[in-house]
Amino acid sequence: MTSKRPFCDGIIRRDFLRVGAAGAFGFGATLPGMLEQQALATGTQTSGPQGPPGDVSVIYIFLLGGLSTIDTLDMKPNAPAEVRGEFSQIQTNVPGIEVCEHLPHTAQHADKFSLVRSFAHGDSGHGSGDKYMLTGYLQQERPAFGSVAAHEFGSRGGIPPYVVMPSMHPSAGPSFLGSAAAPFLIDADPSAPGFAVPDLAPPLDIDASRLADRRSVLGTVDRFRRHVDSRGEAGAYNKFRERAFALMTSAEAKRAFDIQRESESVRQAYGINTMGQSCLLARRLVQSGVRYVMINHNNWDTHANNFGDLKDNLLPQLDKALGELLRDLSDRGMLEKTLVLVSGEFGRTPKVNENAGRDHWGNCFTLALAGGGIQGGRVVGSSDKWAAKPDQNPIGPKDFAATMFHVLGVDSEKLVYTMDNRPVKLLDEGRRIHELL
Amino acid sequence: MGKSPNHLTLIVLGQITLLAVPVWADTTLVGVDVNPTSVSLRGPVARYSLLVTGKSESGNLLDLGGEAVFRSDSPEIVSIDEQGVVRPVADGDGMVVVEVAGRSLSVPVSVENSHSPREFSFVNDIMPLLDKKGCNGAGCHGKAEGQAGFKLSVFNSDPEADYEAIVMQGRGRRVFPGAVERSLLLLKVSGQRPHGGGRRMELSSPEYNTLRDWIAAGVPYGSDADSRVERITVTPGTRILSGNARQQLRVVAYYSDGRMRDVTHLAQYESNNPGLASVSATGLVTTKDRPGQVALRAGFMNQFDMFQALIPRSDRISIWPELAEHNFIDRHVYNKLRALNIVPSGVADDAEYLRRVYLDVIGTLPSAEEIRRFLSDSGQDRRSRIVDELLKRPEYADYWALKWSDVLRVEREALGHQRAYAYYKWVRDSFADNKPYDQLVRELITVEGALIDVPQAHFYGVEGEPGKIASRVSQTFLGLRIACAQCHHHPADIWSQTDYWGMQSFFTQVQTRDTPRGTVIFADGNPETKHPRTGEVVHPYPLGTDMPATAPVTDRRKVLADWMTSPDNAWFARNIANRMWAHFMGRGLIEPVDDLRATNPASNPELLDALSEHVVTNNYDLRELIRTITRSRVYQLTAQPNETNRLDEQNYSHANLRPLEAEVLLDAVCQVTGVAERFQGAPPGARAIQLWDSGVSHYFLKLFGRPVRKSACVCERVSEPNVAQALHVMNSPAIHQKLKHEGGTVARLHAMFPADSQLVEELYLAFFSRNPFDQERENGVAYLRSKPDRRRAAEDLAWSMMCSIEFIFRH
Repeated sequence: MTSKRPFCDGIIRRDFLRVGAAGAFGFGATLPGMLEQQALATGTQTSGPQGPPGDVSVIYIFLLGGLSTIDTLDMKPNAPAEVRGEFSQIQTNVPGIEVCEHLPHTAQHADKFSLVRSFAHGDSGHGSGDKYMLTGYLQQERPAFGSVAAHEFGSRGGIPPYVVMPSMHPSAGPSFLGSAAAPFLIDADPSAPGFAVPDLAPPLDIDASRLADRRSVLGTVDRFRRHVDSRGEAGAYNKFRERAFALMTSAEAKRAFDIQRESESVRQAYGINTMGQSCLLARRLVQSGVRYVMINHNNWDTHANNFGDLKDNLLPQLDKALGELLRDLSDRGMLEKTLVLVSGEFGRTPKVNENAGRDHWGNCFTLALAGGGIQGGRVVGSSDKWAAKPDQNPIGPKDFAATMFHVLGVDSEKLVYTMDNRPVKLLDEGRRIHELL
Repeated sequence: MGKSPNHLTLIVLGQITLLAVPVWADTTLVGVDVNPTSVSLRGPVARYSLLVTGKSESGNLLDLGGEAVFRSDSPEIVSIDEQGVVRPVADGDGMVVVEVAGRSLSVPVSVENSHSPREFSFVNDIMPLLDKKGCNGAGCHGKAEGQAGFKLSVFNSDPEADYEAIVMQGRGRRVFPGAVERSLLLLKVSGQRPHGGGRRMELSSPEYNTLRDWIAAGVPYGSDADSRVERITVTPGTRILSGNARQQLRVVAYYSDGRMRDVTHLAQYESNNPGLASVSATGLVTTKDRPGQVALRAGFMNQFDMFQALIPRSDRISIWPELAEHNFIDRHVYNKLRALNIVPSGVADDAEYLRRVYLDVIGTLPSAEEIRRFLSDSGQDRRSRIVDELLKRPEYADYWALKWSDVLRVEREALGHQRAYAYYKWVRDSFADNKPYDQLVRELITVEGALIDVPQAHFYGVEGEPGKIASRVSQTFLGLRIACAQCHHHPADIWSQTDYWGMQSFFTQVQTRDTPRGTVIFADGNPETKHPRTGEVVHPYPLGTDMPATAPVTDRRKVLADWMTSPDNAWFARNIANRMWAHFMGRGLIEPVDDLRATNPASNPELLDALSEHVVTNNYDLRELIRTITRSRVYQLTAQPNETNRLDEQNYSHANLRPLEAEVLLDAVCQVTGVAERFQGAPPGARAIQLWDSGVSHYFLKLFGRPVRKSACVCERVSEPNVAQALHVMNSPAIHQKLKHEGGTVARLHAMFPADSQLVEELYLAFFSRNPFDQERENGVAYLRSKPDRRRAAEDLAWSMMCSIEFIFRH
C-alpha cells in the first residue's frame, strides 16, 4: 500500500505563497466573513482538500476516557453476549453501514462521515493513548496537531487559530513550538447559564467607557513601552497586549464566542449540555476563522456501568450534537472545509468486565471522520470478530496524523527543532489514509 | 600594483552598480595579503582555498575574496575557480594570480601525483559527503528507523553499519560497480529517481563524481588502518568585522598520517548567535547590523574548531567616558564595550535599584515602607547593605529553593508527597544555611544512607536510570549536554558514545534496600558497562579525561565528585558562575546556560574566567557571589538605552527587561493589591514562591509558565509571553476582585490619603516601587479629578500600572 507514490510529501504545499501566514494572529484585523468565503469556495465536489494549505479547519471531538467503539461504531452482533454487549445495531442512511441504536441522529448522516475500523496504537494507558491521538507520538514530547496548525498558518483575522474547550488537556499544548502556538483555552462550559469566555471580556462592572479610560491611562502610565522594540519578551508582551485589546473590543470576536446569539431552537437542536453547546460553539468559532477546535469532553472512561452511562447520558448527547453539527456544517456549505473527528484516546475491551463495564483497549478501535475533503459513507479496514485487533488494512496513529496534516495542508516532512535543538520532521512516518480521500 | 585604491574604486563604480560598492570603498587599504603564499597540491582531488585579506589604515582586516579576480597563469598545471579554490591539472610547478584593489599577487603552486589513481577510504571520502549532504541527519536516513528502508548511523557514528547499508542491503540495488550510473545511490542523490530528500547533488558535481568513482572502483571500504582526522583548524581564527560584512573561512583537516586536506566544502557550520552573524554551507560568514561577539563553529568528522568575530558598532566613540569601577566585573564589561564602540547606560536611581535587587535576590517586591526607608538612607554603602539584609531573609531561601527545585526536579508526581517535600526541604535548608555550592553538589551526588536522613537521595529517585542521572549531572552541574551521545557521537561537541557510557558507569553501583530505618541508598558492587555498539567494557571516567585500565574499587561517585569539585575542573565553577550571572543580568555569558561546549564560547571570556575564579577563591559561597555581582556598577545600570547601546542585547550595556517568573509575579500581584491568595494544600498566608510542589493547581501559575519539572533544563520555565497572559492580567475576575477588595491596597490608600497628589504617590510606591515623576503625578491627579467616583478612578490607575511592562517585568 505504501509503494508507488511519486513523492511522499504531496503536492499541495511548498509552492504556495502563504500570504499572511506569519506566526501569531494579526493585531487589529477584523474577522473575515469566513462563512461567506467558505460558501463560495465549496462549489466543487471533488475529493481532497481544495485551495491553498490552511484552508481547512478542524473540529476534534475528543472523548476523554475512551469511547467504547465496540458498542457504537464497530458492533459485533454475532459475538457472544459478554462481547457484543447490550446494544443493537441500526441501519444508517448508507446501505451496509450499521451503528449503535443509540446513535439515531448520527446514523442519518453516514453519507457525510467515514469510519476507520482497523485503527490501533496499542497503548491502553490514559495519558499515553491521549498523546498518540493528539500529537501522533508517544515516546517524544510533541506539539498537538492544533498547535502545528497554529504554528504553520497563524490566525485568520483577529481570532486565535487554535482553541481548546471546555478544559485544557495536557497533550494539547505546543511543546517545542513555543507559546505562540499554544491553544487559546476556553476554561468554561458553554452550556452553563451566563457562559462567557474567561478573561475575554472585562469584568461586568467595567463598561466600554471605563475600559476606554483605562486603556488611555495605560498609554501614559507604561513608560517602558516607548523603548521596547519588537524584539525580546517585553516587545512581545507589548504586542500581545495590543492583540488582547483587539480581541476584547472586536465586535466580531465577541460575536464568535457569544453562543447566546444562537437562537434557542438551534441551541436546543445541538442539545443543552456540555457536548452539544461545545459543538455549537466550535461551529461558531470555525465560522469566524478559528483553524482548529478541540473539544476535550470528559467522562467516557466507562469501567463500570458502561451500558447505562452510554445509553442514558453519553451517547444521546454525542448523537444529537454530532448529528446536528454534521447537518449544520453541511447546510451552511462549511463541511467541505471543516474536518470533524470523533475519537477517544483508545477503545474499550472486547469483553465486558464484572462491573458491566469495559476497560481500556488501545489494540483496536474505530475513528469517525467527516468533511474537510474526507469522503463520506465509507468504511476503511475492519477489525477481527471481537474487535480485539485490526483485521483488514490496519491503520496506526502516524497514518492518522499524516491524514490530519494532509487535510490541513501541513507539510509533514517539514523540519522543526526540539527544545534541545534536534531537527525532527513534523511526522517521521505514516501514510495518508487515501481510502478516505 | 601601481593604481591607487581610490582610482580603482572609481573604476569599479563605473563598471557595476552602486549596490556593489567594494568593501574597502570607504577605507584606504595599506596592504593586501593572500593566504597561503604558496600551495602544494598532492593527489588527483586535492584542493585548497585562497583567502584574500586587505589591511586598512586603521589596522582592520577585510575579506576581499568577494571582489578578487582569480586566474591561473599556468592552466596546464593548475586551475582556480571564482571562489579562489585551487585544483590540480597536471604535475609540475605553476602559478595563480589574484587581482584585487589594483594589486596583483602571485601564488606559486606545485602539483604532484595529480594523475595517480585515487585510493578511496569509505570513512574519509564517502562518509563526509553523506554527512555534509544531510543524508544521515536525524530527520532523514539517520533516524532510528531509517527512511524508506535505508538507514544510516546518525552523524557517522557507525561506519561499518553504514557501509553495509549502502553496499550490501537494499537487495544490492544501491551500488552497481558494473553499471555505475544505475546505482540507486547515485540516481537518488542526483534526483533522477524520486527521492523524499530531493536532489542533494548535481550531476557531475565534484561530490557526485567522488561517489561515482568510488562505486566504479568497486566500493572499497579501505582499511581500519586508514588515517583518521585528528583535528581541524579554521582560518582565520578571529577577526574584527563591521556590520553587514563577509568573511570566508577555510577549514583544514589534519590526519593521523600527517596529511592535511582542505575540507571547507565538507565541513558543517553553525553560528552561536544567528542574530549577530550567520554562516553558509560553504563557510561564508555574514554579519548582521548588531554589535557583539559571535562564534561560528565548524565541524568535520567529529572534530571541531571555530571562528570568532567581534562586531563593533561602526560609529567610533571619540571620548569614552570616565566610569567608576566598583569591582573587577565593571572592568571586564567596559573593556568589551569599549571594543564594541558602546557606551553603557547611566546608573539606575535608588528606587529602580531597590526593586531590582529585591526581585533578583529574594523574588519579592519591596514594600512601600521598605522603599521609603531605603530612599531616606543617605549612607554611602546603602546599596550593598541592603543586599546583606536580603541575603539573611527567609524569602532568600524560599526563592532560591524554588529555582533549584526546578532543575533538581522536586517532582511530587514522581516521588510522592512526603518524599518530594523532604527533598524540597533539603534544598531550601541548603540555601538557608548558605551551604557552599561544591558541598551541596557533593552531598547530592555521593549521597548514601537512609532516605529519611539524607532526603537529597531523591535526586536519584526522580529518574534513577544511571545514564539519565549522568546526563542530568552533566547538564546541571557542568553545563554539558551529553544525552545525545547515548546513541551517537555528539553532533556539536567532542563527546563520543564512550564518553557518555563512561559517565553512566559512575552511577551503576547505586542501589536501594529496604531496612528497618526505611529505604537506604548505597553504592556497591562492580557492575560493568558495555559500549552498546562495540560491546567493549567502558570503565567510569570523567568527561575529557582518559579511561583508566580498571574501575575504581570504591564508591565511584566519590571519584566523580572529587573531579567535579576540584578547582581545576574546567566546567564546574564556570557553570555556576554563568548561571548566577544569567540570573542577575538576564543573559548568561554563555547561552544557553547548559551548553558550555568549547565551540560555544563566552561573549566575554575574561569576565567568565574572573567570575569562576571568584567562586573558587571564595569557597563556592553563593551569597558572596551575589554580593559581588550586585555591587558591580554594571548590574546597577538602568534599562533605558542610549544611542550607542540600543541594539546591544549581549554585552550588559544596559539592564535587560525580563518577565517576572510566574510565582514571583503572582506574589507581586497579591502584595501590591494587599489581597493574598490561598493555595491548595498550603497553609494560609503561604506565598507562591514558597510552594514546594510545582503541581499545585493554579491557573495563573500555569498560564505564566511555571515548569512541570520534567527535565533538568532551565528552558522548561517558559518566559515567552502570550495573549492569554495579557488578557488574564487585564480581565481576570480574580485580579479585579483584588483591586476592588474592601480590605485591599486601593481601598486603604483611597481612605487614608484624601489629597489626590498623595494618593497618586502612594499608588506609584505600591505598584511601581518608586515615586511618580512630576508629569506622572499630574496625569494621575488629573485623572482622579476627572472622574466622579474617586475610588474607582484609583482602581483604574492601579489596573493600568498592573498591566504595564514596568510591573510585569524586572528592569
